[in-house]
Amino acid sequence: MKRSSWCAFVTLIALGIPLRLEAKPIAFAHGTTVMAEYGAGTMGELQIFYAPSFNYSLGGGYLALDSAIDGSSTDITYARLNYLAKRWNREASQANVFVWGGIGSANIDGVSGDEFAWNAGVQLDYETRRIYASLKSDLHESSEFSHRIDTLQLGFAPYKHDYDTVATWFVVQGRRYTGEIFDGTEVALLLRLFKGNKWIDVGATTDGKLQAMVMLNF
Amino acid sequence: MHRNAIATLSLLLMSLGATAETIEMKVNGLVCAFCAQGIEKSFRKNTVVTDVVVSLKDRLVAVEVSPGKDIPDQELHNLLTDAGYDVNTITRTQTPVADIRARLKKPTS
Repeated sequence: MKRSSWCAFVTLIALGIPLRLEAKPIAFAHGTTVMAEYGAGTMGELQIFYAPSFNYSLGGGYLALDSAIDGSSTDITYARLNYLAKRWNREASQANVFVWGGIGSANIDGVSGDEFAWNAGVQLDYETRRIYASLKSDLHESSEFSHRIDTLQLGFAPYKHDYDTVATWFVVQGRRYTGEIFDGTEVALLLRLFKGNKWIDVGATTDGKLQAMVMLNF
Repeated sequence: MHRNAIATLSLLLMSLGATAETIEMKVNGLVCAFCAQGIEKSFRKNTVVTDVVVSLKDRLVAVEVSPGKDIPDQELHNLLTDAGYDVNTITRTQTPVADIRARLKKPTS
């Protein structure tokens, strides 16, 4: 990664700008991706997407948000379209811009019945065989709430994996929530392993809470 | 004597003609094994493909096709683009994919 890019990342972290970096929402044409994440007691998410083409995928998900501030919870079920807006394939690197949007329904503590909800987001990522970086912002809104989950992940691989070997990454994750879910930045250290069509992230936040994600492509 | 030589030559040519061809493609963006699964999946669906090997280190995708068969360059481009990658070069060799796989497994000095 160029020095200017690193400076941009460091600056964003220093400014506390909410960012999110993680796996891609589109795997490959005619591929299905299933992802489950547990986020330190404040969020849990399950997603399944099918990609008719390499540049878009369709599917849905379930997101549970539990406020660390007032203990309230919001459960959102949604349908979503992911779109690969731009990809740069270079000899030794790849970078992507993904955007998405969808609609769904939300069940909110203290509100009777389900609320109409919508979501939108963007992800920028860059990777080589040694460095991984992604910025993601995921917004969920209804007439009753506005929750945005922003995550930054910066990863480093101690060795260059190949197609048939286990990939090992050390990842630092910073996450911020809006809408009274968590106050401040939630920082986690993760070990990322993947081989074949299986991917796992496991680690803990700096206050000792589990942060984990599993993903399958098929 | 002359007839035997012709028969031998014919058998030799038939044997060469039956040699499987391997298509080696240099691919840009090949940095993540998890994301590159689609390449192998796409090529294995092609009925003329008998073997596939992918190397991130060499930025290489090599496919072996049945004797006497081929995949047009445009179709190769389409398969790799659909998997999300860009093709740099395409070359055809007589090196079996098994030999390429063995070469890739050798530690580099």
